Amino acid sequence: MSDIWKDLNELQPIVLKMIMNGLAKGRVAHAYLLEGDPGTGKKQTALYFAKSLLCEEEGIMPCNECSNCRRIDSGNHPDVHIVEPDGLSIKKQQIVFLQQEFSKTAVEANRKIYIINHADKMTASAANSLLKFLEEPAADTVALLLTEQAQRMLPTIISRCQLLSFKPLPPDLLKNKLIEKEVSLPMAALVSRLTNNFDEAFRLGTEEWFAQSRKIVLKLYEVLLKNPLEAMVKLQEDFNGHFKDKQQVSLALDLLLLLFKDLLSIQTGNEQGLAYPDQLALLKNTALHSSIVNTTEQITAILEAKRKLDANMNPQLLMEQLVLKLQGGASFV
Amino acid sequence: MKFSIQKDRFAQSVQDVLKAISSRTTIPILTGIKIDATEEGIKLTGSDSDISIESFIPQEEEGKVLVDIQQTGSIVLNARFFNEIVKKLPSEKAEIEVISSFQTVIRSGQAEFSLNGLDPDEYPHLPQIEEGEVFKLPTDLLKALIRQTVFAVSASETRPILTGVNWKIEEGQLVCIATDSHRLAWRKAAVETDFNAEYNVVIPGKSLNELSKILDDSQEPVEIVITDNQVLFRAKHLLFYSRLLEGNYPDTSRLIPTDSKTKLELNTKEFLQAIDRASLLAREGRNNVVKLSMIDENLIEISSNSPEIGKVTEQVRSREIEGEEIKISFSAKYMMDALKVLEGTEINIQFTGAMRPFVIRPENDDSILQLILPVRTY
Repeated sequence: MSDIWKDLNELQPIVLKMIMNGLAKGRVAHAYLLEGDPGTGKKQTALYFAKSLLCEEEGIMPCNECSNCRRIDSGNHPDVHIVEPDGLSIKKQQIVFLQQEFSKTAVEANRKIYIINHADKMTASAANSLLKFLEEPAADTVALLLTEQAQRMLPTIISRCQLLSFKPLPPDLLKNKLIEKEVSLPMAALVSRLTNNFDEAFRLGTEEWFAQSRKIVLKLYEVLLKNPLEAMVKLQEDFNGHFKDKQQVSLALDLLLLLFKDLLSIQTGNEQGLAYPDQLALLKNTALHSSIVNTTEQITAILEAKRKLDANMNPQLLMEQLVLKLQGGASFV
Repeated sequence: MKFSIQKDRFAQSVQDVLKAISSRTTIPILTGIKIDATEEGIKLTGSDSDISIESFIPQEEEGKVLVDIQQTGSIVLNARFFNEIVKKLPSEKAEIEVISSFQTVIRSGQAEFSLNGLDPDEYPHLPQIEEGEVFKLPTDLLKALIRQTVFAVSASETRPILTGVNWKIEEGQLVCIATDSHRLAWRKAAVETDFNAEYNVVIPGKSLNELSKILDDSQEPVEIVITDNQVLFRAKHLLFYSRLLEGNYPDTSRLIPTDSKTKLELNTKEFLQAIDRASLLAREGRNNVVKLSMIDENLIEISSNSPEIGKVTEQVRSREIEGEEIKISFSAKYMMDALKVLEGTEINIQFTGAMRPFVIRPENDDSILQLILPVRTY
């Protein structure tokens, strides 16, 4: 048994079982939607599935050694098509290309497989083109759609796929692993909430820039509490200089979101599994001054800001607006 | 792998296989040319997964040694750079050697290139051909078949199956049909074969166009092999593979009317030119429509009217008119496309009513037929 199989089976036993049963009974659906948080092994599973379907060796498990398996790994198999977002979204053109490709017979095998990574990033017209394509599947075509946000996809697409939900990994598991690797506790707690991927978590946990980010977000939060009027100045001082591009701002919003989530869980009486365990005293103090309704409103504001960021709003204006909204919440207490 | 080869012949082969290679491919290995050195000679392969072209250079031809193979093997090299390099090599001979882990050295005269190759095992496997189930067609006939049908395939992707030409082989007869649902081209030809098998496949129009470009005009037979996924055309030292279109081609046999109410006989060239002139004004209007009506015994009128531009009428003499009088409108473009591929100086057109498709055939030749749907005008 290969290592990948073992790893996947440990992390996602239900999904793997579903796939294997489908293969063993010869009942592979024409489309699957692989849905789950980043780092839960969706892409690995998709490639693994493709290999199982095309492997030259007997049996359900792919051998990882035959030419088909190796070519899937290197992205050179002519009957396995992988679509990644072109820039910010998956364009209609890419789906049209896929459709043209699939109107023809397979190059080698009798099966054709396409994998669409970040399927939620399809533009509206791309999604609708795909829909038509999904509705009339050609024989022996398998579609694997990968997404981190299934709720952003068209319900009509979801209804045409078999759903494979990837369980988020328990944050504690990753946290403990990180602590073993000598990442400090506050850092480990935070990064294990941000990602499910160990390598990425480790990189963030040991990065100077990330430590600085954490500090700046915490400072912003403190200022918001103590002196809301100064928050705008603070934003100019540290924040805008530190979080330069869109991805970085998105990360900052995530950090802020986790902080408010912690606040909410303290307000509901749960002090375990916080993302900022070292800030317990500060958060407890605030929890008394604010109501649950208020906190949820603030969380909504942050989520809204995240959505706007994806829709290409100017990050600086976005942050200013967010700070004003968060202040508004606080001043009503 | 190590061999030395004559540059001109090699460059020509590289040029041939390069036609199959597309710059915008999603599969990285397909940006390369595959080179196989065997005891018999050198085989070059290029592919964009839709079509694949193989060119073979034998060790010896007409007593001349073309290739000297010292060690057999395979390699995949980036097509764009490799083509430029081969074209510009200084000497008449080129030596190619794979040294280690796909690193390839190309030597010619005093120049030496070192090129990073790719793993040949990663290259798509082309179908293995079983000898025996082979059809033969002369090259010029094959090219004519393609020219006379492929223009009628659909340009839109809404019905992908119509972007191909339907090839049916039954009892030694090959029937090619192409349609975009407004017109249809039909061509029949006898094929040379030793066995009896029936095939019904749809070959993409684009592939046939490429094939037609790469074949030279000659009487030499081209061998055709049809497999489950691909069709292979084999000319001398050149193999052309194309993928097929998936799905069933619509049944077109009932579309072609068998009886006719009106029959016209016309001179092809005169008629074509008249349509061409009438379309000058029609082109601007919608649909490019011209009107054909009978005005007298042995006289028809071609006319077109675009209110904002002007109108044109022209009378064409017909050799013979039989049956009911008819007034019919149709697309001038479709008519010209059809007339251009019909051989023979005289054609006959058979109508079965103003709203029914009509059939154009050359006089005394039942191997080709063009069908056009009329346009409704008010």
